[in-house]
Amino acid sequence: MMKLRPFAAACCLCGAIAAAPSARQESPAPPADRSAAPPEDAAPGALSPRNANYEIDARLDENAKVINGRETIRWRNITDQPTSELQFHLYWNAWRDADSTWLRERRMAGLYRQPLPDAWSSMDVTALRVRDHSGEMRDLTGHSRFIAPDDGNTRDRTVLSVQLGRTVGPGESLEIEVEWTSKIPRPFARTGWIGDYYFIAQWFPKLGVLEPQGWNTHQFHAATEFYSDFGVYDVRLTLPRRFVVGASGRQSARTDNADGTTTHRYQGEDIHDFAWTASPSFIDLSERFEHPALPAVDVRLLLLPEHRGQTERYFAIVKATLQRYGEWFGAYPYGYLTVVDPAFQSDSDGMEYPTLLTGRARWLAPRSTQTPESTTAHEVGHQWWYGIVATNEFEHAWMDEGINTYATARVIAETMNPNRVEMRYFGTFIPWSFRDIPVTRIDNDRLAGYRLNSEADAPWTPTYRYWPATASIISYNKTALWLHTLEQRLGWPTVQRILSTYFDRWKFRHPKPSDFFDVVREVTGQGHVWFFDEVYRSSNTFDYGVQEFRSDRLDDKTFRTTVVIRRYGEAVFPVDVVTTFENGERVNETWTGQDRRIVYEYERPSRGATVHVDPDRVLLLDVAYTNNSRTLRPQTDEASLKWSLKWMAWLQELLLTYGFFV
Amino acid sequence: MTVVQSWHEGWKRVLAAPAIAAGVFVMTFVLALPLALTLRGQLASHLGPSVAAETVASGINYDWWQEFAAQATGLGATFSPSIIGFAAVLDNISGVLDGRGRSGPVAAAIALYVAGWAFLTGGILDRYARQRAIGAYGFFGASGVYLLRLARLAVIAGLVYWWLFAYVHPWLFEEQFVNLTRGMNVERTAFAVRLLFYLLFGGLLVAINIVIDYAKVRMVVEDRRSAVGACAAALRFVRRHPRQAIGLYAMNALTLLVVLAAWSFAAPGVGGTGLAMWAAFVVSQLYIAARLLMKLQFMASQTALFQGTLAHASYASAPVPAWPDSPAAEAIRPGAGLAASQQ
Repeated sequence: MMKLRPFAAACCLCGAIAAAPSARQESPAPPADRSAAPPEDAAPGALSPRNANYEIDARLDENAKVINGRETIRWRNITDQPTSELQFHLYWNAWRDADSTWLRERRMAGLYRQPLPDAWSSMDVTALRVRDHSGEMRDLTGHSRFIAPDDGNTRDRTVLSVQLGRTVGPGESLEIEVEWTSKIPRPFARTGWIGDYYFIAQWFPKLGVLEPQGWNTHQFHAATEFYSDFGVYDVRLTLPRRFVVGASGRQSARTDNADGTTTHRYQGEDIHDFAWTASPSFIDLSERFEHPALPAVDVRLLLLPEHRGQTERYFAIVKATLQRYGEWFGAYPYGYLTVVDPAFQSDSDGMEYPTLLTGRARWLAPRSTQTPESTTAHEVGHQWWYGIVATNEFEHAWMDEGINTYATARVIAETMNPNRVEMRYFGTFIPWSFRDIPVTRIDNDRLAGYRLNSEADAPWTPTYRYWPATASIISYNKTALWLHTLEQRLGWPTVQRILSTYFDRWKFRHPKPSDFFDVVREVTGQGHVWFFDEVYRSSNTFDYGVQEFRSDRLDDKTFRTTVVIRRYGEAVFPVDVVTTFENGERVNETWTGQDRRIVYEYERPSRGATVHVDPDRVLLLDVAYTNNSRTLRPQTDEASLKWSLKWMAWLQELLLTYGFFV
Repeated sequence: MTVVQSWHEGWKRVLAAPAIAAGVFVMTFVLALPLALTLRGQLASHLGPSVAAETVASGINYDWWQEFAAQATGLGATFSPSIIGFAAVLDNISGVLDGRGRSGPVAAAIALYVAGWAFLTGGILDRYARQRAIGAYGFFGASGVYLLRLARLAVIAGLVYWWLFAYVHPWLFEEQFVNLTRGMNVERTAFAVRLLFYLLFGGLLVAINIVIDYAKVRMVVEDRRSAVGACAAALRFVRRHPRQAIGLYAMNALTLLVVLAAWSFAAPGVGGTGLAMWAAFVVSQLYIAARLLMKLQFMASQTALFQGTLAHASYASAPVPAWPDSPAAEAIRPGAGLAASQQ
């Protein structure tokens, strides 16, 4: 623990120096980025720049749990700067030993469990060649070294730098051949094997993204995901014949080999990653999504037998999400989508890859609860926010996770009825659905989690510098809540226009936060700088409340009602204050929320009844909404009595349960 | 005496001593009440005079609930949806079988409750064994007489249970279960293993429970002083009458399952305030009363089985009874107690 402190402090310090925001200013315009321009020499019909194209030939050695692979990458420099270096992600080295940055951060977050001896993985590049100007392949295997651009951790081997010995100019292409061997982990971070189930992601040496400022190739961090360029993937996977295989892209060929293996060929265009899965137990099901105004999508579901009863639920939520995201943001362009029902303990649930995703199902899953719906909808949604609008998840995870969490909550609210709170007992195997407790959209915006860690990090901080234990709360929860707040303030049609414009503008590209804010300005005619200063550039907490509410009789005909509204949190947001009187009169005030408090006094013929700050719940980030209202006839006694009686019966039951022992 | 006869006889004795049932109900109520009042204070304090209290009173306000939970400590931290209806049963049994710890104030309440039962057990068994009213003086006298002996027995039982939870439970659920299921990718198979482990661990608990139960019965009925001796005697009794001892336990357990099944249908949901609230509370107290009667039935029927099976209970000549002679001594006097009923 002591050893880790300097490391953590260094992270925070670097973050503070490198990314300090300019308070109350518009975000600077993004630097010139040729990837934002339409592809100049892309193939006809190309949707993306297709500047990182992979041909992969890989073979699974099931007994050794090893993948031997060979890839040819055709990469084009689409920046306006030359480079003499290549940088590769070797993600599986994050689980090579306990000193990787990924595992150090897991330890810091208190999420570390000593992996079992056979759990470790590795990724070793055995050969790396580049075609030079003469057309010959030049061996650069010895010209590579591991680098740690984020934290200087010399034990981390997740980023490999290769010196080319020449420059690759803007617009110039390069052909790279890589041979590698990967030891497959027992499940770590949504990838690995368990029994005869494999989910294989981040499994091949993958180029980082060259930006005008240089390579953007972050180490693998515990709380972040990925970033890579679009391209065409042509992948041949050779596995024992008994496996049913699913992968990014669409299967174009299947060849049975003499040695009892089968080679599956998958091709995907305009995607920026490739993952695959295999299990002999998969039930291969297909349905087609059709919509009068959207392109059809062939949905393939690879379902495990114990979840057969949830087939309909899977397809229904996939189609509902394809429909709503398509209508709200823009069409899903690929025409196919593979949904994987992940195996128990595979740790591969709830993950998105281009045209491939994993849901989340439990063996016992009451219809009134949102498993598998919630996770599946979220991962389908990632096809838009990550798959197509390909943000840098190392630095701006909120741009896909947050936007997608917000949109998923909308889908679930529209499609799931009933949707009830579930708790699990007996080692989490036995579910119980609470018929009296509906899950609301705010629950799916994840206010409960945000409330506990609202000040953990400011979203402008690059995500990989977030505190790993609470990173998701800022990326997912806070963003969903401020987007919902924006919806409450501007209306859904406006927010929908913002998101659809943003989607259309930035599909198949890599937007930065400023690009999103620019679209907000463009659509609404306002920069909303004050709002983004609070929700994006600060870690301040919102909490408005009623400090005082009283109504005193002045004379026979008049009461003086005094209302004191207080801003308890540091964050500022304009709020409505509604006071009602016993005669039914209602006074609506709008307060800028800037000062610490505001006092309203009313002299009326009737006594005050209630006062409510933000009665329409516009500000969903308010961490303590109970203090937002007061009444002069509170039902606190009844409420507390009712629930304490219920709790008392629970306690008596508990006492009797332990009474067994005496 | 057969299992069914013992079961019947148990209920007869339980119902013939309503004061005992009332007494343990009062104990359960009184122990829970101050904690419930404390929680009520916490809830009221958090709600304050807010308008939110209206929805909290009339139904449920889950947003408020989560806000309360976010700041709650101690008793307040136990205020989760699991307190509603039948979920409480699942939560509590699951908590025991999963070896979940309890927070300070709740753990203290459990300890007090167990101590309360330990004190009353002597009197209760004495009353059920004598099958006649012994009055409050006699009841508490017997409780006092057997307290130290039962306390010694409780130490033995506590040590055995502690060993089960401190060593056997982690070994089973944290080592063996994890090792056995670490390669499993089918949830229902893993659950089957867990179920097996629950049965195994539950079986151990029940086995210990049966022996300790009969040790208590023998300690009281036979006026035994040695806790170790009582345990050995109980073990002998169970070994010599396994079908009756286990059969009776199973029959009582089955009856308990019927009570739980009925509760799963009858357990009130969230409800509102006023009459509905009190009606829900009364229903929940009826369930608690049924659970208490079940606990007493275990004690009474096991006492009946032991007495009915006890060789000397039905034929030995009677000494003159002079309280506090043991129930066995009382039982063998001419024309009295079980001996009389069997003649």
